[in-house]
Amino acid sequence: MEEYVGELWHKLVTRVADKQHAEAAVNLDEISKTAAIFFRALGGDAGLNLSAAASTRHGARRGWRDRLASSGERIELSWRDGETLRLPEKIDLFSERSLNRDMYLWLTALSAADVDDNLPWIVRNQTATLATLTRFPGLVSRYYRLVGALLLLRTLPSKLPIEEAAQESAIRQALQQPGSIYDLPTAKKPFQPVLLWTHPSPPVNASNKVSSSDGAPEREQSDDKNVAKSRRKHAAERTDMPDGKDGFLMMFRAESLFSWTEYINVNRPQDEEDDIERAALAAEDMDTMTVARDGETSVAKLRFDLDLPSAGEDDTPLGEGIPLPEWDYKKQVMQPDYCRLQEYVSPQAQPCELPTQLRRTARRLRSQFQALVPTRTWLKGQQDGDEIDLDAWVRQEADLLSGTHADGRGMYRAQVNQQRDLACLLLADLSLSTDAYASDHARVIDVIRDSLFLFSEALSATGDRFAMYGFSSLKRGNVRFNRLKSFDDRYDGLARGRIQAIKPGYYTRMGSAIRQASALLAAQPQRQRLLLLLTDGKPNDLDRYEGRYGIEDTRMALHEARQQGLRPFCVTIDNEANEYLPHLFGVGGFAVIRKPEDLPKELPLLYAQMTR
Amino acid sequence: MENLPFYQSHGSEIELFERAWRNNLPLLIKGPTGCGKTRFVAHMAAQLNLPLYTVACHDDLTAADLVGRHLIVDGQTVWSDGPLTRAVREGGICYLDEVVEARKDTTVVLHPLADDRRILPIDRTGEILAAPPSFMLVVSYNPGYQNFLKGMKPSTRQRFISLAFDFPSAAQEEAILIGETGIDEMLAKRLVSIANAFRALRDHDLEEVASTRLLVYAAILIKDGCEPTLACRAAFVETLTDDPETAVALREVIDATFGL
Repeated sequence: MEEYVGELWHKLVTRVADKQHAEAAVNLDEISKTAAIFFRALGGDAGLNLSAAASTRHGARRGWRDRLASSGERIELSWRDGETLRLPEKIDLFSERSLNRDMYLWLTALSAADVDDNLPWIVRNQTATLATLTRFPGLVSRYYRLVGALLLLRTLPSKLPIEEAAQESAIRQALQQPGSIYDLPTAKKPFQPVLLWTHPSPPVNASNKVSSSDGAPEREQSDDKNVAKSRRKHAAERTDMPDGKDGFLMMFRAESLFSWTEYINVNRPQDEEDDIERAALAAEDMDTMTVARDGETSVAKLRFDLDLPSAGEDDTPLGEGIPLPEWDYKKQVMQPDYCRLQEYVSPQAQPCELPTQLRRTARRLRSQFQALVPTRTWLKGQQDGDEIDLDAWVRQEADLLSGTHADGRGMYRAQVNQQRDLACLLLADLSLSTDAYASDHARVIDVIRDSLFLFSEALSATGDRFAMYGFSSLKRGNVRFNRLKSFDDRYDGLARGRIQAIKPGYYTRMGSAIRQASALLAAQPQRQRLLLLLTDGKPNDLDRYEGRYGIEDTRMALHEARQQGLRPFCVTIDNEANEYLPHLFGVGGFAVIRKPEDLPKELPLLYAQMTR
Repeated sequence: MENLPFYQSHGSEIELFERAWRNNLPLLIKGPTGCGKTRFVAHMAAQLNLPLYTVACHDDLTAADLVGRHLIVDGQTVWSDGPLTRAVREGGICYLDEVVEARKDTTVVLHPLADDRRILPIDRTGEILAAPPSFMLVVSYNPGYQNFLKGMKPSTRQRFISLAFDFPSAAQEEAILIGETGIDEMLAKRLVSIANAFRALRDHDLEEVASTRLLVYAAILIKDGCEPTLACRAAFVETLTDDPETAVALREVIDATFGL
């Protein structure tokens, strides 16, 4: 009974306090693509991701209804850092849907403005507002509509204590006449958040706290598993890792949320942390996640198991290893000889035949692909052509002389020329993620293996030159490049045996693999050279090769490939690929296969379409 | 000279063209689509008072299409000059647009014309034409990435001196719009601002970006009384993308410039 009444009360007070307009809400998901393009068109950095912002406690005065329902104390602010543009997950401030939508676009436009980040917050936002309104005068009317609607939601200065009233008036003036306020008066209580402005990365200033003891690459954020689901970022705060000598062990866990949020400077290795689900739930409720940089996050623990096999078990390395550069986007420099790539060939591979279940499809593909074999023939009886078709002409003259009606056939010969001057290198991702199950009975690696088989069958029918390699990596010193079939190898039982022997392992340092593949492909004399990348996810590796660093290095490697006159194309089974592949491969430079089990059949067809 | 096509110079390209022409050097012009390559050649041909033969290259273009072929007329074979041969005979400018689209075996016929020999051998008639001093060979191509499967043979490419074109600066582009269509300065500024916003999306969201030509189209529509946002949608949004979500974003940029 007590519970029942409590629930009723909760419903009642939250409804009273809820000034939001659920029916007019606009979600970030609905608008994210539009907003992202809008952001880039207005001059925003094309490498930024768009994601939902974490809610933060603003600490400002709330209305009595809010206090009663203990709601409204958190707010989702928008901000931008080197990797991400963050916007609220949902905007439902206004009763008109169009206003909520305009609010998103306004925040996007404001974030795209190029202003000095070192200006005081209030000045910076006014400068950005002015710059945006000058460049896009069409936004002026929308801006003032938004300001008008927003001011109605803010507490009137007359209802506030003197200091806060001065502050509020300044903000109001800055909104209505951007550029007129240079200083924000101080007050004891924080002011109400200004939702029309972008905020500095909320309250934590990350740059001061970064400390890395040995300069080694560390992992930046370890919460990808949880965040991927809710698309919500936690404000991350970095703190020094204590050395553990003076620590007392904190024995109680998520009983009280406070013990989670307040970072106590003790070494608390997460050996016992297997209850990931509960940890994720607790993390949802936290404002700030404190991650110390000792590389011992639970994800790192998991990765620890992926050690290299012993020398006897491993594939046979070929040669010394090839030094390759890597692009550091933060410094905007190419780091020469930063990675070492090792070419391997599987020693256990035994020559084998095509697996029986693929034979029927292979036969069909072969006959389809034989139609692509180049032919250079003369067509007779054309209306237009390089040469005169003497036969046709003589026949027509004879017909005319004998009084028969000439049928008006063409009297020229034309050459149809279907040259296929083409080389293709297929680069397959063999990282550990391909060990996952793609469907009920096949792992991703099995799908990739079948694709490689069918692809080779199809290409050997066309006579196009092709090579196949697989890649994976374990940090920068060990990029593994598995030779399945080089351009000079024949496609025979041994090549099939190597395809049969592929197995998943390690990570995805895409840039180095692409650089090596480009070098091999660029040495081919053909006119059209296609670099086909088969993958199941983003570039990543154990060290800092992750997130934007990995993406930007891969992008640079692809850029180099294009400069060498190669054409990169990506085939992926990653359903979220649309978020990053356009940045890497451009529109029309990639294909997403929704059902992984279709990949073996789709891949040869894609190839046929591309090279026709 | 009153028929001189309008052309807004943005550097030393006019001077370079004249020097190349005076010294019998062939010229290669590269630049994105719609940035004024063809207009530039037409302008120069008119200024130098030379006949201009333009060939739009495609992958079925054969050497015979350029040089010429025998035709059957009234039971007789008659030799018919192709555009290249005609330009050589008359001492005019032969302009091959999008030359990378042509196959390599076709572009090889240009070789003897494009070096110091300056001759055009015609295999089918046994004739060898020597080009008069006023003849000039101009080729152009668009180095956009859709041409990566193509590209020019280095042996062809190294016979030309090259000029790179790009979209003009904002001020020049405004001048072009005003010169070409007579719209007012404010409108020209806004159109150019939209185009530059779209150009920031090159390679990421859009395959091709708004060309100066599209800007001129938009200006013509507006000049004709078309409502500006409508004209921009027709000229830019629907031309540049087929993807509905991208189209929405592009429209937002236009609305942000012209207002609602």
